[in-house]
Amino acid sequence: MTAGMNAPPDESSPGLPPADYEMLCDFLRERTGLSFTEAKRYFVDRRVAARMAAVGAATVREYMRLLRFQASGEELQLLVNLMTVNETYFFREKYQFDCLVNSALDEVVRGRPPGARVRIWSAGCSTGEEPYSIAIMLLEHWRRVDEFEIELYASDIDSSVLARAQEGIYEERSLQGLPAHLRAKYFRRVGSDPDRWRIIEELRESIDFSHVNIVDPEQLRAFRGIDVIFCRNLLIYFDDLGRREAASMFYDALAPNGFVCLGHSESMSRISSLFVPRRFPDAILYQKPVQGGLP
Amino acid sequence: MALVKAKKNAAPVPAAEAPGADPRAGLSDSDAAVRRQAAHRLAQDPGAVSPLADRLAIETEPGVREAILTALVRIGTGEAVEALLPLLAREDAGLRNAVLESVQQMPGESVAPSVVPLLGHADSDLRIFAVQLVGKLRHPERPAWLAGVLEQDPHVNVCLAAVEALGEIGDPAALPALERLLLRFPEDPMVGFSVDAARRRFRGG
Ligand SMILES: C[S@@+](CC[C@H](N)C(=O)[O-])C[C@H]1O[C@@H](n2cnc3c(N)ncnc32)[C@H](O)[C@@H]1O
Repeated sequence: MTAGMNAPPDESSPGLPPADYEMLCDFLRERTGLSFTEAKRYFVDRRVAARMAAVGAATVREYMRLLRFQASGEELQLLVNLMTVNETYFFREKYQFDCLVNSALDEVVRGRPPGARVRIWSAGCSTGEEPYSIAIMLLEHWRRVDEFEIELYASDIDSSVLARAQEGIYEERSLQGLPAHLRAKYFRRVGSDPDRWRIIEELRESIDFSHVNIVDPEQLRAFRGIDVIFCRNLLIYFDDLGRREAASMFYDALAPNGFVCLGHSESMSRISSLFVPRRFPDAILYQKPVQGGLP
Repeated sequence: MALVKAKKNAAPVPAAEAPGADPRAGLSDSDAAVRRQAAHRLAQDPGAVSPLADRLAIETEPGVREAILTALVRIGTGEAVEALLPLLAREDAGLRNAVLESVQQMPGESVAPSVVPLLGHADSDLRIFAVQLVGKLRHPERPAWLAGVLEQDPHVNVCLAAVEALGEIGDPAALPALERLLLRFPEDPMVGFSVDAARRRFRGG
């Protein structure tokens, strides 16, 4: 990914001076939670150099002034979009969705009257494969899906992937995990292109997409009473403290006894003591205890 | 279809959580959610160490404790470290462990000035905590501080904690100090056992 029409920076250029690198990474960590160590230099240097060239900033200081003080925040957003890793695909780590429809949701709705709301949030949804997979799993496999009003939220800090999520057009590569009959049921070909499929409008319309940075407490205030949060393969890009803060945000967003689902390589026990691990037949989820006690 | 278009913010936000409300006042609100929000907001305010620490000293709700600890770690100054250390002497093991973990996440340059002197504290339990904290510091003097414990600390349990920390660091420069520890406690089988284990780690075996 290089920046627009600008030539990529010279591969042999020495990159940012260490003090500038540190200043910029501190700033990014503070704003996004994303943590870039020295080991990520190859990733950071090229992207920052490309953006600096695009806006004509001669020094990192000058560029940082733009990032900090530009009223529209546009440059910061462009840089953030370049700094995120957006890898995702349909039915990724499907056993966790199995866990949702086979165990977790039945527990969530226990004691709720028919017609009650159930809220599920994909935090860090990238191009949308995760929330659409959840929607399809619910419709296909949760026996009680028609008894409740299910609200699906999906958000990301990266404005460009979010736009693509809302558009809902996918290529073969990201659809591979999806059985053919589900593709036939929930997707339509785009024009005559054999490789592009668009998710049906009904599903696109059923998900509330929003531009949300999970480390921003003000933005998180819109999320309360959530029953299940999927935050998979996002916190791996944070440092320990950032993960702990994110866990704390999720705690507030969840309803009592609500669940967090992390990526397969991530463990809440190493992040925060706020949640209780729950081992279901398909997967481990992390549960918010009712105040002051165990679930 | 059972999926309905979502309506965010369906639940009203308590007034004390509103953006304009004073977060310091929020720390003593009767609602734990409001106290947590207040702590989250104070994480951006390095001047808020004492109100946060004062609340932590009396707070019993685990969720609020965690929010306050996280805020103090984020503030990360020497003052924040100093405010946390007295809690290591508390009876409550859950709180002690949470404090220990939190201080370990704070920057070494903030931690060292108040933790290193704790290595000489009169209470051996506190010295053990200090050893554990020093063991995780990113600081060039770390092996020397731990070697000093091996040479001088009168309490065998404090020395054993230092052996473990040195073993984790894995720097063979600590070997002479380990050998001398064997001479200091020749009768203690635990010392022999842990020094052996540490030696094996240095050899990468
Ligand atoms: C690797 S993708 C994972 C997508 C999906 N959850 C999955 O597991 O397939 C990580 C996503 O997290 C987003 N992200 C990173 N930091 C974020 C933040 N602070 N707030 C919201 N989203 C963030 C990135 O933009 C990216 O789209």
